[in-house]
Amino acid sequence: MITKNKQSKVRNLLGKFLEPIALGVLALLFIIPTLTVINLEPITKNIREFTDVLGVATNSKVIVDLVGGTHEVLSVEKISKNGDSGYIYNAMLTQRESDFYSKPILQIGNNTDEEKILTFLGTTLNPTRSEIGLIINDQVYTLQHSTGQSESVEILLKPRATYDIYLTIESLVGVQFSEEFEMKIGIR
Amino acid sequence: MSNLLKKALRLSLLPAVLMIAGKFLGLFVLIAFYSIQFSVGNEISGIFSTQIFLPDSETTLFVNSISDLVMISLLGLITLYMILQTTILQSAKHNPRTIAKVVKFNMLKWVTSSTSTFLQIFIWTTFVVISSIITITNSLQGDTYLWVGITAGVISLLSIWGLIKTFEIETEKIYPSSSKHSYF
Repeated sequence: MITKNKQSKVRNLLGKFLEPIALGVLALLFIIPTLTVINLEPITKNIREFTDVLGVATNSKVIVDLVGGTHEVLSVEKISKNGDSGYIYNAMLTQRESDFYSKPILQIGNNTDEEKILTFLGTTLNPTRSEIGLIINDQVYTLQHSTGQSESVEILLKPRATYDIYLTIESLVGVQFSEEFEMKIGIR
Repeated sequence: MSNLLKKALRLSLLPAVLMIAGKFLGLFVLIAFYSIQFSVGNEISGIFSTQIFLPDSETTLFVNSISDLVMISLLGLITLYMILQTTILQSAKHNPRTIAKVVKFNMLKWVTSSTSTFLQIFIWTTFVVISSIITITNSLQGDTYLWVGITAGVISLLSIWGLIKTFEIETEKIYPSSSKHSYF
């Protein structure tokens, strides 16, 4: 009789300890599939422009790669073709405190033996007192001033060279909402 | 540990596995069927760092849309089947016309017994709603076709409506409405 009482006490005690763990496991059964499904979403990478040489698409000219990855301010990065020789880079700039942020966004490689001129024109829909720019080969370029005025950036891409493009955001004041950023890339 | 918690844990396993399996199968069956070039990278920092890369945005949109549709359909169809089974069975118990209709459409074996409980339907509906939120978010961000997002929304609303209906049936069992009982 005493043993049965002891057994039930141990069982009750064990149940009390197991209950919070079981609740955690139950929560994980909902969280893990959600995160896995989000993680399984494919992303576009290696957008290549091919040249047809007698019908054979082998000689690639300019390669535009999306770097991807996660960042505290830049999210939902996308790159798509814009006409025959251009691309559009889209990203979401999330709410942020006044600070300086930067992220590698693109890798552009010139696989030809001639120089290429790259033009970048990027803006947000509304001016948010944030200065947006690019860092290419340790050179700083401004795309959009804090007043909202945007300017085009033109760089020379040397033959057989690959450049890493960094996007920089310098917010003078905290921004409390997300905004869309679009940058047109021209290659000639 | 309470029986409710034990049951909830046991019942959550299958929809959790099916949610991942639906997305995974949708993704890799399409890649294999259309011989799409893909690569797997691990450039993203976080808990899950594996990413599937596809060559162009059109292919990414197509593969993501169909895999989302497979996932939501798999979860949605099973949930709606459980809801229908429970509601038809309950209706057949009270209404002879329903039995006649069920026999007419040769669906009797479907509804002779219902193993689905309210808890089971609640858990499955929760997974349907989670999948719908993911699909609709993708649709709004342009990562999934709009019609896939709308389909997910419709399946989700139907499941929620079914869940409410099942809740009404369950409460009817505990607190039967006075109109159905005669005290004389």
